[in-house]
Amino acid sequence: MENLRPSVPVRRIFKADPESLRCRLPGGWNTARESKESHSSRTIEKDRQGKFLRVLTWSGAGFGFLIMASMVIYILVTGLPALQTSLFSWTYTTDNVSMMPAIINTLITVVLTLAVSLPAGVGAAVYLEEYAPRQSRFVALVSLTAETLSGIPSIVFGLFGMLLFVYQMNLGLSLLSGILTLSVLILPLILRTSQEALRAVPDTMREASYALGAGRLRTVFRVLLPQAANGIFSGILLASGRIIGESAALIYTAGTLAEPAFNLMSPGATLSVHMYKLLNEGLFMSQAAAVSVVLLLLCVAMNLGQFLIRSRMMKGKN
Amino acid sequence: MIQTRRESAMKFVFAGCAAMSVLCVALICWFLFPNAIPAILKIGPAEFFFSADWAPEQNRFGILAMIAGSLCLALGAVVLGVPIGVLCAVFLVYYCPAKLYKPFSFAISLLAGIPSIVYGFFGLTVLVPLIQKCFGTVSGKGILCSSILLAMMILPTIVSLSESALRKTDPAIYDASRALGASHDRTVFYVCLPAAVSGIRSAVVLGIGRAIGETMAVIMVAGNAAIFPSSLLSPVRTLTTGIVLEMSYATGLHRQALIALGAVLFVIILVMNLYFSSRKRKEMC
Amino acid sequence: MKTYRKFKAVLAASVTALSLAGCSVKSDAASAESAQSTSGQIAVLAREEGSGTRGAFTELFKLAEDDKDLTKADAEITNSTAVMLTTVSQNPNAIGYISAGSLNDSVKAVSIDNVYPTVESVMDGSYTVSRPFLIAEKEGSDNKLAQDFKSYILSQSGQSIISDEGYVPIDADAVYEASGLSGKLTVGGSSSVTPVMEKLAEAYQKENPDIQVSVLQTDSTTGASGTVEGIYDIGMLSRDLKPEEESQGLESTVIARDGIAIIVNPSNSINELSKEQVKAVYTGEISDWSELLIDEN
Repeated sequence: MENLRPSVPVRRIFKADPESLRCRLPGGWNTARESKESHSSRTIEKDRQGKFLRVLTWSGAGFGFLIMASMVIYILVTGLPALQTSLFSWTYTTDNVSMMPAIINTLITVVLTLAVSLPAGVGAAVYLEEYAPRQSRFVALVSLTAETLSGIPSIVFGLFGMLLFVYQMNLGLSLLSGILTLSVLILPLILRTSQEALRAVPDTMREASYALGAGRLRTVFRVLLPQAANGIFSGILLASGRIIGESAALIYTAGTLAEPAFNLMSPGATLSVHMYKLLNEGLFMSQAAAVSVVLLLLCVAMNLGQFLIRSRMMKGKN
Repeated sequence: MIQTRRESAMKFVFAGCAAMSVLCVALICWFLFPNAIPAILKIGPAEFFFSADWAPEQNRFGILAMIAGSLCLALGAVVLGVPIGVLCAVFLVYYCPAKLYKPFSFAISLLAGIPSIVYGFFGLTVLVPLIQKCFGTVSGKGILCSSILLAMMILPTIVSLSESALRKTDPAIYDASRALGASHDRTVFYVCLPAAVSGIRSAVVLGIGRAIGETMAVIMVAGNAAIFPSSLLSPVRTLTTGIVLEMSYATGLHRQALIALGAVLFVIILVMNLYFSSRKRKEMC
Repeated sequence: MKTYRKFKAVLAASVTALSLAGCSVKSDAASAESAQSTSGQIAVLAREEGSGTRGAFTELFKLAEDDKDLTKADAEITNSTAVMLTTVSQNPNAIGYISAGSLNDSVKAVSIDNVYPTVESVMDGSYTVSRPFLIAEKEGSDNKLAQDFKSYILSQSGQSIISDEGYVPIDADAVYEASGLSGKLTVGGSSSVTPVMEKLAEAYQKENPDIQVSVLQTDSTTGASGTVEGIYDIGMLSRDLKPEEESQGLESTVIARDGIAIIVNPSNSINELSKEQVKAVYTGEISDWSELLIDEN
């Protein structure tokens, strides 16, 4: 019974590693348990502990799942009744607090932030993985600062963006200030995921490319980046999720205006900021709940995208 | 010739990209510290760091209560969140039936993507009344409620990092342990889990970082009184919420003091990272 | 297969637990509503230090003595009206204060010295707990759009919008006529003023289709500093200008008044409080609802 428990990774190990296969007893790993169960009382006691551990794991996982389920149920129960088509009309008025402008602003922000941050992040990853000597101080410094950046609370980014972009560079409260602030915020994320993606490209690829006479640059653009594209793309989705969910870094940089900011110098609220604003004066609580449903949907979409990519990567490998 | 020139030019471009993150940190320092340090000096470092008396209207700026608040919440979140997170990771790696793996890990990553402001409202309308009823206190807001909420928020980080740490352990040790007669359960908990402990530690550090930095959710459920936390249920103000609460209205020294709060947060994160990366390097050697 | 069944069992158990928890919360709330007992510790909610609402509140209830804010240190602080409303509507022991324009049915406003906060009572001065809404401009600014918008706000049509929204208009007899100007105007500042300012901007743009008014919600201080720095053409404040802001060349105009309502949970049996009682609650002298009931009898 218990011993038939499919344990995914273990199976995978056996598939991948013939060495460990050979080490196994003829009866597989079931034999150990069977012989043990027929042993003395001491082993029964041991088994009790095993059972306890198993129950612990299952309940821990169940609890984790419960937390997730309660969050989603909560969002749907409060938000769905308030979700009306009028909330998606093109203009925001005080009678109909439409979230359409905020959705447009969110799209603009995601696209432009990535446009700023993606080349820088991927370029940095290429340098760290392909050019820089492994043990150099510069590499250590870059990874340390990237880690620091990724740990900085978003409110500190908000303060920084306000001081630098809004006041010092005189961009004012504008979507542009917000985009620049967010670019700094997601830079380490892009850097890390691209680095991991490049690291996953097997060295044989590089060797083959060099052996065919391609230069380093050509190898990077024609071989490595296409190979790493899936990983980088999943990083993009992760970063988009972060941008969509961000509010603390945007309130003091991009403002809260619920109008589409086609002119980047004008302020504009993204969905999260829009929700923050709706909640602030307590006049539009149910509409804010509706926004949270849309945010949840976006989040699901981002995650689905990532799952698709990951499964495509798995297929590619086999 | 052109080829090599292009090669070296692009090398510099890539190096420039890599320098961006250094530049960003430098810029953040450049803009935070010139505001923060004069303010701290003017207030007096001793008063600023070691007084718990925060009353900006009367020019009393002591942030000890907020530092204590931030640490309490981070500790609470870790105590509540890490066991569940690690158990979830163990489940995903060693117990999860293949059919369940996808939905479960999808659920966990979904939890990571929900904006913090949504968590805040969940806490305010679900957790706060629940805690108030359970403990019969005046108000449900406070350390306990914020810790539970933060534990929920750091759960995905803990799970995903612990999971990859567990997957990275040498499969041979599992087999070795089973070959010695240990059951699946005992092997997982006494062999694989200890082997992954350094990865799990890094998950905890990242979780602490996220818990210290969280703002928008905590501000709704923490009660935000700037007093030294005395019990699990007493209201608490953290460094981050201290900034958001008052940034709106602050002028002059008060505003600089709030930027100094941001600088303190920055330094805390930096020190944590430095300690962590030096430890990692030691382990590698 | 067995494990899968087990998981289903765990899932089912968790869902039941969840729904039970949900139900118990609901029934608890219901029982709290039915029980009219008003005793127990008072949960005191205040706004953050420096906010316009808190400033006006401490001033009007004489909670500021010798430049010292007497509000008790362990009072819960929030920076959002929504959190204040939600907390008070959920917690039968809570007391808080909000802008009278944000009042809704989920909470109950109490009368102060036997006067309820209404537009009329604030206007005739019998409800004394109110504060001004201001707009600020740079001194000697020659922004024609800003002047025109200001004259609209101060006209009869502008003031009628203000009173429709539950805020208290000031005396106005000027009639506004569309100016035919065109351009862009940025107004920013206090979150308390924002909702009514958005209404004003909408109506104003109807009269002047060529003018685009953006209303940005931040806060009073940013409203003032933003106007000084030229980010906003007009700043919105829910408190008076500070001396240092006036010295930076700002001048302000009162556009409306706003009552501050003291709110309690709807199940709370207390309907009226005196100014002294509110003060005692906020300083911590009175910490239990029963003390207030004894006072009343």
